[in-house]
Amino acid sequence: MARFDQLENMYDLGLKPVMLRSLIRQYLPAENHPLNLNNSCFELPSLVSIVQTHCLLSELDSQSIDPKLINTWKSAVDDWLSCLLSLLSSDMSDKCWVGICLLGVTCQECSNQRFLSSYSIWLNKLLSHIQPPADSQLVKIASCTSLADLLTRLARFPEVKKDGNLLAGKLIQPVLKLLNEDNVEAVWEGAANLLYALIAFFPASIHHYYDKVEAAIASKILSGKYSTKTLKKLGYCLALLPKAKGDKDSWSLMMQKFMISINDHLNEAFQGVEEEAKSDEARRLLVPPGKDLPLPLGGASFKGTSSERLPTATISTLMFCCCKMLTSSYPVQVTVPVRSMLALVERLLRVDGSLPHTMLPFMTSVQQELICSELPVLHAYSLELLIAIIKGMRRQLLPHSAYIVRVVTRYFKRCSLPELRIKLYSIIRMLLVSMGVGIAIYLAPDVIENASNDLNSLGGEDIETSPANTGPATGALPQLSNRKRKHGAETGSLEEKRDAPSPKVGESNTHQMTPITVKMAALDTLEVLLTVGAASKSESWRSSIDSLLMKTAINSCKRGWGNLESNIFLPHESASVWADFQFSSLRALLTSLLAPARTRPPYLSQGLELFRRGKQEAGMKLAQFCAYALFALEVLIHPRALPLDDFYSACHNSTDGASNRFLENIYSGSRKQNTSFLSDMRRTEQGGVESHDVDLYDRWLQNENENQNENENIPVEDMKDQTSRPNDPSFTNVLEVREQEPAAANADVHMRTENEIVVQPCHLEESVPKSQGVASAKAVMSPAVGTNPEGSEIESKTPLSASDRLNDTNHDMFSCVDKVDGFDHVAGKTSSTLRNAEKGSSSMVHLDSDSSMDSFPGIVDADPDTDADSD
Amino acid sequence: MNVVIASSSIDGGIGCWDLQTGAEQLRYKTCASPPHGLTSVGCRFLACSQLRDPSATSGHLLYWSWSKPQAQVKSFPAEPIKPLIANSDGAYIVGGGSSGDIYIWEVATGRLLKKWHAHYRAITCLVFSEDDSLLISGSEDGCVRVWSLFMIFDDVRRQQVSHLYEYSFTEHTLRVTDIVIGYGGGNAIIVSASEDRTCKVWSLSKGRLLRNVVFPSIIDAIAIDPGEHVFYAGSRDGKIYIAALNAESSPRDNYGLHIIGSLTDQSKPVTCLAYSAEGDLLLSGSEDGMIRVWDVKTQNITRMFRHSKGPVNNIVIVRLPYPLGWAESKSQPSSRKHELSLPPPLEKYANSTDEDMDNKAIVMLPDSIDLPSYLSSHLINDHIKQLQQQGSSAVAEMEAKRLKADCQRSMEMFQQLRKVYDNLQEFCVNELLDEQTMEGSKGN
Repeated sequence: MARFDQLENMYDLGLKPVMLRSLIRQYLPAENHPLNLNNSCFELPSLVSIVQTHCLLSELDSQSIDPKLINTWKSAVDDWLSCLLSLLSSDMSDKCWVGICLLGVTCQECSNQRFLSSYSIWLNKLLSHIQPPADSQLVKIASCTSLADLLTRLARFPEVKKDGNLLAGKLIQPVLKLLNEDNVEAVWEGAANLLYALIAFFPASIHHYYDKVEAAIASKILSGKYSTKTLKKLGYCLALLPKAKGDKDSWSLMMQKFMISINDHLNEAFQGVEEEAKSDEARRLLVPPGKDLPLPLGGASFKGTSSERLPTATISTLMFCCCKMLTSSYPVQVTVPVRSMLALVERLLRVDGSLPHTMLPFMTSVQQELICSELPVLHAYSLELLIAIIKGMRRQLLPHSAYIVRVVTRYFKRCSLPELRIKLYSIIRMLLVSMGVGIAIYLAPDVIENASNDLNSLGGEDIETSPANTGPATGALPQLSNRKRKHGAETGSLEEKRDAPSPKVGESNTHQMTPITVKMAALDTLEVLLTVGAASKSESWRSSIDSLLMKTAINSCKRGWGNLESNIFLPHESASVWADFQFSSLRALLTSLLAPARTRPPYLSQGLELFRRGKQEAGMKLAQFCAYALFALEVLIHPRALPLDDFYSACHNSTDGASNRFLENIYSGSRKQNTSFLSDMRRTEQGGVESHDVDLYDRWLQNENENQNENENIPVEDMKDQTSRPNDPSFTNVLEVREQEPAAANADVHMRTENEIVVQPCHLEESVPKSQGVASAKAVMSPAVGTNPEGSEIESKTPLSASDRLNDTNHDMFSCVDKVDGFDHVAGKTSSTLRNAEKGSSSMVHLDSDSSMDSFPGIVDADPDTDADSD
Repeated sequence: MNVVIASSSIDGGIGCWDLQTGAEQLRYKTCASPPHGLTSVGCRFLACSQLRDPSATSGHLLYWSWSKPQAQVKSFPAEPIKPLIANSDGAYIVGGGSSGDIYIWEVATGRLLKKWHAHYRAITCLVFSEDDSLLISGSEDGCVRVWSLFMIFDDVRRQQVSHLYEYSFTEHTLRVTDIVIGYGGGNAIIVSASEDRTCKVWSLSKGRLLRNVVFPSIIDAIAIDPGEHVFYAGSRDGKIYIAALNAESSPRDNYGLHIIGSLTDQSKPVTCLAYSAEGDLLLSGSEDGMIRVWDVKTQNITRMFRHSKGPVNNIVIVRLPYPLGWAESKSQPSSRKHELSLPPPLEKYANSTDEDMDNKAIVMLPDSIDLPSYLSSHLINDHIKQLQQQGSSAVAEMEAKRLKADCQRSMEMFQQLRKVYDNLQEFCVNELLDEQTMEGSKGN
């Protein structure tokens, strides 16, 4: 105290004992002084916050601190504690309550040494307040909570574990008494807090009372009469209870009891809305034939529910218990009844309140109404259960993943409640993240369909704009909508739906409004889908999704930027929903730009512009994200890795065949030494595509054609320019030649011929032996058929058609002949093994003729002598 | 603790060394493995397929726990299994049979979950993708196939498609000897080596060949640099070639296109390779029974481990969560006893004896670590709010109690005052009476 005037600043340790003493004087009522509830009591929160902010009870002990100060501090804390203890022993319940609460805070705040030296005294003091003579509710609740805090702190000292277990054991009977004999819900909640601490930190202490605890909690849950919060707390304790024994069987038994109890309640609740067979089936999964039924939950059967109410509270609490069992850790491996849990989820999700035909006469409309009003809650809990199953099982869910996907996608089609949809989206995200690429390939179509429906429908954000405004808003991106129409033919149903909303906006407005939160969930899910599965077989949906995400991002930002900082007017001071939506849409946009694709991201420039604006204009978090996005996109603009793909040209061949062939000739002309290697590569590569899969190949070609159609209005010359420019200096010569060409009707064919002649005149001479080459290729095909039975179908077909077509073209078209010859010629030069050569050349012939026909239908049409159709 | 485990085709046991110190650990006995037959199952134990009798119709598989040299569990699959691999958390073991079938077992129960005909000839190597959702298999027929495990387990979808695989790469003309997969999920690259003296780089996203590298000799083992700058190819001529992925390569390289260098130690053929990302070390096993540790930056050998006289054909680097021998030295304080006991042997056929188990799964529930949360200060706020609103019954009760006490105090006060009053009255009366008697006596 003497040092008072020497205090430096607010961090001076000397301040702490002084502050503590004045707090005691100011706030803590003296023993004989009556407590005035209206002032000193209401000051408690600020007292606690001062104590916590300044760590007034921590009694920092280190060499650097003046021992005198340590002593002063120690005596101040002693005073604080003696004051609390005297409050605690007061017979006035309000004083007592203050003392108990502050002791709880002290358990959390005091130094280790002090805690270890006095925890058992405190525990006994607190214990006396939950035992019979105590009668005030608030005191009981406060003691339970303070005891829970004491146990929480105690659990952090492993060296007193044994003592802790012993002391904790003393608490159990009083807690059970509170649960069983008290009839106030708030007290149970306090008891549940304490019970949770006991089970979580000192499970061994419960061991002897296992059945009693189970029965006490089960009776509360099964009565289903109390608030959800209390029931959930109790349920959590029940779910953790098996930890008290810690063996495999008690976990499984508890789980089985939960499942059976849920099942029984459902049978009762769903009477009339589902077929009888369903409940039998569920039962059979739960209790395999020939096995004994375990005792019901809580030891005896409780049949207290009245028939007017659905036992929703009980069912949902029990399902919550199952969730917690699956997601809390357990010391040993456990056997999870996955199949029956999934069956339960499916069963619940299947019931939608409609009446099966056989049941029609037995149900009244009141009953149906009752069920329909409760179903959303049950559905929400069953989705929660599914989430817990995915979390708990992780990779080991694999054998059941197909089943889950079917349940989820089927439910997705019918589910229209926003909250449930959000949950469904989160399930899909979890599946994608935990199961990876393998599942993404198969989940994608459903995700895309649902997400684009949700994102395209009119949402909450558009309410303020009048219907007249929404029209131009979508039309503001002419290039996007253009593109959309082009792709229309490609992805049939999906595109139709996407296009549909615009004319129907007026009508659908009334009944279908997707809340913004659902849109956010859809965006987040698309983001995850793109991160996981963009690289794999995404051609069919990629462009539509890219354009959708671009459109959404632009729309979300067109009316300025939301503020992601917390808004104190909202509950829990959360950030505004609009800013969250913008954040989601920008994140999804960034992912769509970054996700691997075969083409340059089509909306890169718009995206960059949006992020640039966001960086300058938006609030802190959004601007930070935009800055990050710009940083991440930089790599796209200046690629750092060397292209690994040696066959990029070969790949592009498929999209615009002519220019590529042309390009390849340039290659062979200018770099002789590489040619054999390169074309060898090409052959093997294309052979792979061919034998890979007929379907895939056909689809691939289809896409090609579509791309072609899409590009039809683009002049052929331009296309060639684009693809061939970066490759060779000799290009310029070629270009000149081409410019000199007279613009003929079938310009491209002639042009190619011309080019080849210019670059590689030698090919002309070898045009005669070429057809023999083809024949030999056909001959050597037959052994290959034997070695590769799977591809036999393709291969037996292809040589035939290839040679037929060749013969045709042979007669009419000089250029084709020439080209095929070119390949054969090269093939002859390759030094690879004989088998390699056979395989390669055959596939080459096929592909070459095929692509020249398919990708350039103009050739066939233009020349009347070519009758490729007749064979 | 990173340990190197290695096995050989001739029985020399499984050697085990600490990669940092080079100290040899336990040697696990009786193991003669085929290439790619050695795997660590979720870092919990070792599993290895066995080469014994080439004519035998059934093979066998052994498990070793880390702490004991003797094999503890022996399984007899329906046919000889050569390549063996476990997924990253050790939930499944996948084996490739000599008939071209692939088997998936669940480790915890030993159940054979699925078996399917994957290739026409024996499987030579198996690799999981980064996220464990794709399986890549190589075969003696030169084929490399990519399988989605989701598809394998989807009985409904399986019947609707013409083939099970996602991709089938057929460009190799001879036996595939090794496969590695790079970084990037669905956009990863796969590098495969074959007896046709080539290594081929495939794109998982495009499903086609990206690069073909022709080597001077047959490549039996490959390892990929985690940054995918280069990959290393161990060859039968004793060299480890360095082939470019993202690295610059000039067309006039000594060994061929894309081969930018080699590591040599005049040794016998290189049979297996492994890359340790920690410290950028490349480990190579050779037919002379030695394991060489190369520093890839300096291209020098930093350490050699002697395994046996026979050729080393498997090297696996395992990152153990705790040092070997930890289990015995400490009387395990935690409850994780299961890590010490091995799961049951793998079943031969898919017909489960316990049908009930089809509906169940044995799992280790995920650990969740939470900071302790204290409730007292929340409770105070909560209760104060109730007190301020004077709403709840609990508050009313407390208020009533206070009033009762007040009342009692008032009663006491009242009693006291009354007593005082009574006393006073009595006193006064007495005084008066006394006065009267005095006056009376005076008057008399």
